[in-house]
Amino acid sequence: MKKLKIKSGTILGWAFSLPALIYMLVFIGYPIIQNIILSFKNVNVYTFANKDAQNFIGFDNYIELFTDPNSVLLNSIVKTLIFTVGSIFFQFIIGFALALLFNKKFPGCSFFRGVTMISWLLPVTVSGLLFKFMFAASGGIINQFLVTFGAINKPIEWLLNPVTATVAIIIANIWVGIPFNMMLILTGLTTIPNEVYESASIDGANGIQKLFRITIPMIKSAIMSVLTLGFVYTFKVFDLVWVMTKGGPVNSTQLVSTYSYRLSFEEFQFSKGASAANILFIILLFVGLFYIQLIKEDEVM
Amino acid sequence: MKKINIANETKKKILLSIVGFIVFAIFIFPLYWMIVTSLKTQVEIFSIPTPLWPENLTFKAYIDQFAASSDTFLGFRNSLIISLGAMVIATVLAIPASYGLARFRFKGTKVIILLFLITQMLPSTLVLTSLYIMFSGMHLLNKYLAPIIADATIGIPFSVIILRTYFLSIPKELDEAAKIDGCGHLRAFVRIMLPIARPGIIVAAVFSFMFAWGDLIYGITFITNPTMRPITSSIYNYVQQYQTLWNSTMAFGIIAISPVIIIFIFAQRYIVSGLTNGAVKA
Repeated sequence: MKKLKIKSGTILGWAFSLPALIYMLVFIGYPIIQNIILSFKNVNVYTFANKDAQNFIGFDNYIELFTDPNSVLLNSIVKTLIFTVGSIFFQFIIGFALALLFNKKFPGCSFFRGVTMISWLLPVTVSGLLFKFMFAASGGIINQFLVTFGAINKPIEWLLNPVTATVAIIIANIWVGIPFNMMLILTGLTTIPNEVYESASIDGANGIQKLFRITIPMIKSAIMSVLTLGFVYTFKVFDLVWVMTKGGPVNSTQLVSTYSYRLSFEEFQFSKGASAANILFIILLFVGLFYIQLIKEDEVM
Repeated sequence: MKKINIANETKKKILLSIVGFIVFAIFIFPLYWMIVTSLKTQVEIFSIPTPLWPENLTFKAYIDQFAASSDTFLGFRNSLIISLGAMVIATVLAIPASYGLARFRFKGTKVIILLFLITQMLPSTLVLTSLYIMFSGMHLLNKYLAPIIADATIGIPFSVIILRTYFLSIPKELDEAAKIDGCGHLRAFVRIMLPIARPGIIVAAVFSFMFAWGDLIYGITFITNPTMRPITSSIYNYVQQYQTLWNSTMAFGIIAISPVIIIFIFAQRYIVSGLTNGAVKA
């Protein structure tokens, strides 16, 4: 009888989960495998419609991506790392500071905290265009502020200079990502019982000591989640950069994701684009596995 | 002594409110700037220095957006079709899956949850080229179904994860009571669990809708017909065409974000819970 029950549970569990699983296997699992196969072929604008001309060419696409002087893959990996680390560093610090602030009770607190969320929810395309406008050389508000405060003498062409363009996309991405960091850290902060702080106060601990001795150690797992998830989500950013710079000027903001898109859908080198996407996938997979290890230790599953 | 404490507390709170407001004002400035720009004339936008509020307030950009070009209206309509379609597919599939994963402990539960977690981390570019070839073979390019199918794959894993946490929080006894009353599994699920899980289902549906609404990459890749483009894709193309028409672009942007703002105003509480549950817990 008991055995039967367990069995029926298994069947029911699978039955309920199966439709979603099949859907994901067909539209995510199968394309991933196809993408791997594609990366070992020579599908491009000439062979796209002609199946007979599509051959397996082994690792040629990958080798070319890494060694061909025209390929900017290595450069784009470096750019992606700079973009990701730059974004996360500031998103995390600002998000943390905002979480500490909004964790206190004061008039207007929940309103301010709530509305701050909006930057994370906006369609990234619109946020990207908004920042493109704010960084514009003529009519851009950022130049105007900097000139007014005397930081620069004349407007800069933010998005036309390799270094400032990188800075601009990072700043835009920081704005988008702050609420995510803030909310997750805020959730962590609410789990710390107030008594801990009270007894620390009695022992004469000051604010900074409390932050480093109590707050940070007690929400360590939330911090690790935010950082790894933030890394994964930032590493694959596409829309924001595509809208703001399209990878330019001269590939200076070309991320692996935008490069892969450009190869596939601007140059129609589908196989090469697939290879670049796979490289991005492998990097993310490592970080993703690290994250899963992390939450496994942390209960939940 | 106590009086001084209370006075200090009040002072501290006022100070915090001021700090909170300043931080808030800086943070929200880009959004303010978008609204202000959409209400300015082109001349004002390019005058040096550009005024920080519209001196000759005008709704011309909005009127132009709706009257002079059909891009805005069409884009809005297309996005609505695509996002609602993706939302329905994602929610209908995610509800039973999350229930199954929450209620029945069976071999494979962990693996399935892990798979859903991993799919959340995949870059769209990874499946984009293959999906393009697949849809091209199925003659789905330039059909709404192509971005609908692709956008639903973003909503499903997220929905499964937050709905599973939700179903886990509903006491198992409720199910069992229903079964004792003679309900089968399916009826217990439909009659008892679905109504109780409604708030969770709303969160999941709202997120699936917003993911699809915000998508750009699937929209620009699978739909090239200008009359069928979703709004993100049409605003992107609009800017390529009218580089410096910033007041119109910002008005377009405001229209594009309006559903998100409306959802946010009415469902803020749900969104916050969805973000924290869906992103961290597994």
